[in-house]
Amino acid sequence: MATKKEEKQFEKERKAAQKARYKKMKEEGLEKYLTPEQIAYNRRRKWIGAVWPFFRFVILFGLCFVILYPLIFMLSTAFRPNEQMNDPSVVWLPKSFTMQNIYDVWDVMSFDKTVVNTVILNIVASILQVITCSITGYGFARFKFKGKSILFAIVVLQIIVPPQITTIPLYLQYAYFKPEFLAKLLTGGETSLINSGWTMYLPALFANGLRAGLFIFIFRQFFRGLPKELEDAAYLDGCSPLYTFVKIMCPNARSSFLTVFLFSIVWYWNDYYVSSSFFTKNDTVALMLKNLNTNLAQTLFDGQQVSVRQIIVWLEAGCLLSITPILVMYVFLQRYFIEGIERSGLAN
Amino acid sequence: MSEEIMNTPLDPEEVNTEINEAESEAEQTADAAVEAAADAAEETVEETEDTAEAAEEAAEEADDDIAASKEAFEAESKAIAEETAAEAAAANRKPEKKHRLSYERRKGLYGYGFIAIWALGTIYFFILPFIESLIYSFNKTEVNQGGMKMEWIGLKNYRNAFRKDQDYSKALVEMLQSTVLRTPLILIFAIFIAVILNQKFKGRTFARAVFFLPVIIATGPVIDIINGNMDQGGFSGGAEQFSTMFEANLVDQLLNFLGVYNISDTLTETLNTLITDIFDLVWNSGIQILLILSALQGIPLSSKEAAQIEGATAWEFFWKVTIPYISPMILASVVYTIVDSFVDPQNSVMSIVLNKASNWEHGYSAAMAWAYFAIVAVFLAIVVAFINKFVYYEVE
Repeated sequence: MATKKEEKQFEKERKAAQKARYKKMKEEGLEKYLTPEQIAYNRRRKWIGAVWPFFRFVILFGLCFVILYPLIFMLSTAFRPNEQMNDPSVVWLPKSFTMQNIYDVWDVMSFDKTVVNTVILNIVASILQVITCSITGYGFARFKFKGKSILFAIVVLQIIVPPQITTIPLYLQYAYFKPEFLAKLLTGGETSLINSGWTMYLPALFANGLRAGLFIFIFRQFFRGLPKELEDAAYLDGCSPLYTFVKIMCPNARSSFLTVFLFSIVWYWNDYYVSSSFFTKNDTVALMLKNLNTNLAQTLFDGQQVSVRQIIVWLEAGCLLSITPILVMYVFLQRYFIEGIERSGLAN
Repeated sequence: MSEEIMNTPLDPEEVNTEINEAESEAEQTADAAVEAAADAAEETVEETEDTAEAAEEAAEEADDDIAASKEAFEAESKAIAEETAAEAAAANRKPEKKHRLSYERRKGLYGYGFIAIWALGTIYFFILPFIESLIYSFNKTEVNQGGMKMEWIGLKNYRNAFRKDQDYSKALVEMLQSTVLRTPLILIFAIFIAVILNQKFKGRTFARAVFFLPVIIATGPVIDIINGNMDQGGFSGGAEQFSTMFEANLVDQLLNFLGVYNISDTLTETLNTLITDIFDLVWNSGIQILLILSALQGIPLSSKEAAQIEGATAWEFFWKVTIPYISPMILASVVYTIVDSFVDPQNSVMSIVLNKASNWEHGYSAAMAWAYFAIVAVFLAIVVAFINKFVYYEVE
């Protein structure tokens, strides 16, 4: 195998040789070598090759602008003194910068505590989710058993059914959790799981967390794509299926594990529907952000009226704070988000 | 599988029945069978003890049987003895088929083991609440201490939703309409962008990173707040800003120049709605782009080379090679788009449902949600069945 560098070199040489040959052919007259159709084809390709990059740049630039626009807006307003929101001469660049908004919002959201709380919730739930979903996905991918198609139909149903349908019965199940001793054991003396992290951990532990159906689906597709010989070799050596899964399949599935883990983190981080249904005191970043408007009015403004335009600076500062951790993660692990999904079973 | 493991009886039950059969025939054969079983047991890698025990037990049972009906056996003596002996001797050969089955069955049992966690969780966290909410929808509910107080009213909730509620059916129709309109748009856009992002150019990594940004942000409350703020702050969406930068009324002016005046108003309006939609489109197609890009990566390079040699234009290549290759992923994206717009808490039907739920009208809200779910499920089934006709699967 040639290394990447060498391959690049080969490619370069090949192109150069092609060019030289074409030039020689042109000198001697193209008609000798090529049919008129081929000449037309080559000319068209050359023309498109010259024009297309320009169009591509315009399209991509425009769309990138559309996507980044809200973020630019956020950056522009989050560091702006709130009086300048009403200044017509300030559009994008404020006249002065201030960190005051960030400090205010930090206090209102009690951001340090909230972030730690959210991170713990997210990471524990995501890890549990990845482990159980991968086991389930493997079960669906590699074993034949009765009722498999029906069970898998339930997985698909789980993807389709919106969580809103099951929230209220679930709330009651958590609020009056049976068996009671288990609830007491989990929460340390209370019979209701509401407000405890277990409303997140328990479903994740049983492969029923946020968008678990999708993750099971991804894992199933991925494991189906792996060669069967891998396991057969392990069975030959007398490994049990569970041991095979842990020792042989998991290391091979590392990239898809990471992808699912990252997506799981992102979705847990952004989720406010489920957490707002089950938490009234246990605060996550998304919940705090959702209630930021009310909280600001209560704590920061003391019931004073602040114009809708002025309040924007604090709201945007809140947005900036709450997406920063996830954005930092994205910037560093961006490669895995994109390549991971490409290599994971979704590509099949 | 290894020959050895395949040929040796693994299942104690199997050996057990084998032995029972043999021993009810004749004493010698019973011994032979026990021996064979014992031999087999020695050979087996796993469950050696079990097999041996089973064999002993079977032998004891057989002794009783034999004592009781010895005369009957003598009549049949030799021929059968030979037969059974042969059978016992061939214990290694005959059970081959049977044991493969049992191995498969054992593997199947492991399969149940692997999905057991999920199955347990699904019953508790999905099926029970799911059915419960179906029951709510047929009841007048009242929340009180200790749970839900229910009163059976049959289909009244459903009838109310469709007949009395003014907003619900309107929102439902609107929702379906917008889904029908938006899904193809998102899809075409996603395919277009994915094809572009799949090409090689400078700054591709950056462009990709930007296009997947919505996947990370758009699902959360952040984007709602920012959008709301931009509306209030008098900042229109990015698409409009961009278009004013490039003077979108150029088309308008061109038409005026050409002497066409009257249609320009409608044209501008359509253009404007289209441009506003672009923002919506871009922010909602992150996952679809991701899916289709992953499918594009699966197109073998050889097919591209072959197409080039045959003189296919990029356009032909796109329709005859690219589209068939990515068609399974297109189906997946369609399903994802529909489901995504369907479960979005921001859409009008969902907000009515959630509103009713927060007003403690759980039965009514469940009925609405179920009717909605049923309609969308039917819609989805039709769409999938239709698209599936055009999907090309490479294997199969």
